[in-house]
Amino acid sequence: MSFLLKNIVNLPRSGSINQLTSSFRCLSLTSQLSTRHNLNYKPPKIIAKPITPIIPQRSPSEDLKACDNIISKVNNVISEKEEGRLFAVIHLCGKQFKVTSGDIILVEGYWPPTIGDEVRLEKVLLVGGNDFTLIGRPIVDKNLVNVQATIIEKTLTHTKTHFKKKRRKQYMRINFQRSPNTMIRINSIDISGQIQANSLEKDDSTKIY
Amino acid sequence: MVFTSAALFVRARGPDEFWRKRRVFKLAAHFHGRPRNVYTFAVRAVHRALVYATKGRKLKKLDMAELWKTRVSASAEQYGVSFDAFKNSLLKSNILLNKKMLADLAIWEPRSFEALAQLSRERAVVEGMPGIQERSVMNQVYGLKNLLKK
Repeated sequence: MSFLLKNIVNLPRSGSINQLTSSFRCLSLTSQLSTRHNLNYKPPKIIAKPITPIIPQRSPSEDLKACDNIISKVNNVISEKEEGRLFAVIHLCGKQFKVTSGDIILVEGYWPPTIGDEVRLEKVLLVGGNDFTLIGRPIVDKNLVNVQATIIEKTLTHTKTHFKKKRRKQYMRINFQRSPNTMIRINSIDISGQIQANSLEKDDSTKIY
Repeated sequence: MVFTSAALFVRARGPDEFWRKRRVFKLAAHFHGRPRNVYTFAVRAVHRALVYATKGRKLKKLDMAELWKTRVSASAEQYGVSFDAFKNSLLKSNILLNKKMLADLAIWEPRSFEALAQLSRERAVVEGMPGIQERSVMNQVYGLKNLLKK
């Protein structure tokens, strides 16, 4: 997870939350009920105020420690196989799909694989379990996540009528079109191996996203 | 031509008129009133309907994009981040989820979305992007922090 937090300076959250809880207390029902007899009572405004950006000085070692803590927790969950049913966001043929195992997704347009082919979907943008989410920048490490799918059907769409007409101009065109559709079933989504603290891959110029 | 009955076979001998009209009436079968029964009205209505259907295929995509944008901006503002700041800061962090996915995550995976919102918020503050607000009080009351406490 450190690759997520890298380059990002964390803000202290406690300060603002305490302020908010105190403002919430002001908003609570009891205070409103006690002031209801007062006709001039105006409820406190809940308008969000713009904040001034303050970059806190936090040592990088503190951040690293927090990262390591989170990563070891996630690794624990994975090694004990308590991650639950995983979902993944995959990028396929120019579209993104949120899938889980057993799903069927429809790929529109021409796509070469044929029925029965088993493919591995490598562009995984995000994987999530019960208690954690791995966010790829832009994709999750290929060795970490394995999304397997089978092509189950190749068909054509229903006939779409493409009809153009201009009024009073004697212009009318009609065309019919059917485009190929492919159905694929997601067989499994697995996380294999452990998350590395520094899993940033080297830039590979041959990779096509 | 397929002759399903003797009546249609009789009709088939004449000029093309019957079949030409029948094609239009088939498309007008679900219309109401005269556009359903009178050819001159039916043909106008069918043409208009086909033009709408052709244009509608494109409009549907635009409408969905608008809907996703509304959903994502609403759920980002829950965390005090404007839509533009949210999307830009995710882009700066090299997270390339599209609007459809973000809307989906906001609805079905609120905890993942919260993580994305926090991430983008911190990024946006560091980059000094406009459109960052205090976290909404409503979110503190009804938000995930209170709902998902174990």
